[in-house]
Amino acid sequence: MTSGAGIYFDGRTSARRDVRVTLAADTLHIDGADGRPLAQWRYDDVQELTAPAGVLRLGRHDSATLERLEITDVAFASAIDVRAILVDRTGALQRRQRASVIGWTVAATASLLAVAYFGVPALADRLAPLVPVAAERKLGDAVDLQVRARLDNRHLGAGFACGAAPSERAGRAALDKMMRRLSDAAQLRMPLTTEVVRRREANAVTLPSARIYVFEGLIKTAANPDELAGVIAHEIGHVAHHDGTKAVLQAGGLSLLFGMLLGDFIGGGAVVVAAKTVLQSSYSRRQETAADAYGAALMKKAGGDARALGTILAKIGGATEPGMAILRDHPETRARIAAIDRIAGPHPAHPFLDAADWAALQHICAR
Amino acid sequence: MSSPTANEPTAGGVRFLGTRRDYWRLLSRGAVLLILTLGIYRFWLTTDVRRFLWGNTEIAGETLEYAGTPLELLIGFLAAIAILIPVYAGFFVAALELGPIGEISGLAGFAALFVLGQYAIYRARRYRLTRTIYRGLRFHQEGSAWGYALRAIAWWIATVFTLGLAYPFQLASLERYKMRHTYYGDLAGHFAGSGFGLFFRGLPMWILVVAPVALAVGAFVEAVDWTALGDALSQGGDDVMARIEGGNPALGNVIVFAMLMGGTTVSTAALLYPAFQALVLRWWTSGLRFGAFETRSKLRTAQVYGAYMRFLWWALVFSIGLAIASLPALFVIGLVSDRGTGGEIAATLTALAGYVIAALGYSTIYRATVMLSLWQLGMESLQLSGLSALDTVQARGRASSPLGEGLADALNVGGY
Repeated sequence: MTSGAGIYFDGRTSARRDVRVTLAADTLHIDGADGRPLAQWRYDDVQELTAPAGVLRLGRHDSATLERLEITDVAFASAIDVRAILVDRTGALQRRQRASVIGWTVAATASLLAVAYFGVPALADRLAPLVPVAAERKLGDAVDLQVRARLDNRHLGAGFACGAAPSERAGRAALDKMMRRLSDAAQLRMPLTTEVVRRREANAVTLPSARIYVFEGLIKTAANPDELAGVIAHEIGHVAHHDGTKAVLQAGGLSLLFGMLLGDFIGGGAVVVAAKTVLQSSYSRRQETAADAYGAALMKKAGGDARALGTILAKIGGATEPGMAILRDHPETRARIAAIDRIAGPHPAHPFLDAADWAALQHICAR
Repeated sequence: MSSPTANEPTAGGVRFLGTRRDYWRLLSRGAVLLILTLGIYRFWLTTDVRRFLWGNTEIAGETLEYAGTPLELLIGFLAAIAILIPVYAGFFVAALELGPIGEISGLAGFAALFVLGQYAIYRARRYRLTRTIYRGLRFHQEGSAWGYALRAIAWWIATVFTLGLAYPFQLASLERYKMRHTYYGDLAGHFAGSGFGLFFRGLPMWILVVAPVALAVGAFVEAVDWTALGDALSQGGDDVMARIEGGNPALGNVIVFAMLMGGTTVSTAALLYPAFQALVLRWWTSGLRFGAFETRSKLRTAQVYGAYMRFLWWALVFSIGLAIASLPALFVIGLVSDRGTGGEIAATLTALAGYVIAALGYSTIYRATVMLSLWQLGMESLQLSGLSALDTVQARGRASSPLGEGLADALNVGGY
């Protein structure tokens, strides 16, 4: 079959022309109903375009206009298909392209997850020490405002921190004594700021720029000064390792990797949130393990009882913790205590504070 | 062999040639590939969807052609990322600043992204139009995208402050701007719909939705002893609620009434939404003009409700299937979840996969029922006149960049 009917649009006007199409050796001739030649297309240039079922719509590759030829006769359409290379009615070309897209995106996803798991924390570890002290302080101030606002849920304002009232000054002095001994041993590049705040939980938090908040509940839980000093030594570990700055860098890196490059599809948001949560918990567990090791070593260096961190952890963490291990931001308590005891080893210790100072420190939030 | 002039039964109308089954196959395969590629496949799926919808829409005997490619969309998205990353980084740094800069940075960021989103909507429309080909000629769009964005912002503010009463005028004004700058070849378009026309038809719905809220607010103003409430709040402390109740014995009843009225508003809005959609679609498609070429819509509201009923039916079928399929999955989670970290990861992945399948499933059903029906009904209900105006159009306009599509995708304001 070397000739058939078609509909032709010349790409310059919207006029619709019924045409006669003739298939020559290298070209396809399009002639008007009156026999006047309208166009000649080389088979190499002929391209198939999207059309409804039953219509073969052709255009010319790299043509300046959008000239179109439409064929509805099935036999004639396949005669053109045979001659034109770019016309591919089976869709094999398209399927191959799609398969390679899918293959490469799966590979890219795997590489992205590998970068998120190994690359982001490694980058944050190397960048965090390079952040200038001034920038870290600025970051610390910004985080401090938010953290204080969140912790101070009874709206105590300035009274949120203990140690300012006359009845609390002796406690503050005892804390300063403890902190002096710890920071002399630690030798950090930034001065430490430590405050006890009125919160009932047994906890302590460290912000960027060497700011440590010890919760009132932690002092109530500690059986002796070395247990409290152990927790503070652990927090000093976070300061020494720039963990606050690292956390900001890691969160930013993850947001960039997952939020921007991947996608906006329905349900995709949940995948991104889950991946970020699991990864951030894993970063955090690594940081806690490192801070435990630092804290135990610091207690040893300062001449305190390094095992005390382990004994107070046993009280705070409890023996078993509910919930999923991959979502916890702290490692398992028993494993932490075992690791601390390994570092502590047998070594002589003398208490961080004498009985009188310890009694004063226990009343730092007396007001 | 059939002569092409012979199969022109709808020379004066619009027909949709696609079948629901083909569209459904395209969407469900796309949903699976979206999961496998974590969403990268969306550029291919979007292109497939448009090729299907455009290619199966026959206007006066000739179908539309969508000439965009997935690669263009991907490039547009990457370009948008290149623009947006510094913007996001800037707001991130500004949020860390102390003082007024840090405090307003969140609001400023939202405002900037909103303006950018409107800009993207206009640019994306330009991309879609210049990839729409009819009878060998493309459509195109002129006008300034920033000009459109500023108008859109002004109108959005007006709409929010008038509780939606300005919305018909917003639609009319923005559509006039869009259509005034839209061309088929050298044939200029315009929009003939009026804001008042939509306003008066939509007003009864607005009243039905807003009235319960107004009643609740009125009851509050009436019942609450404002001085007592002020006293109770100013004293602060833990027992604020107790004192508020003490000073305002009627408050409890008013709160119950307000919750009932809130529920009424939400359910009325949900029930009326298809009618509202039909109204806007009918109004919009009745106002489209290209020179002497005019469209009139005969869309019936009941047809749109039918589309939603089909969605509800398939969503119900899918929910039942999902519930049955999740039983063995839950059993497996129960088995592995206490087998250490590996088991936990397996359980988490199973739960996550279930969630993604559910979300994508409902969205696919919605697209295959409501969205396809709205397209099909919107098109097939059109009556065309002045068709001869389309016969002598000259080519004009060039293909535009896909940046707008990329921005719209990155900012989540995309359309079809």
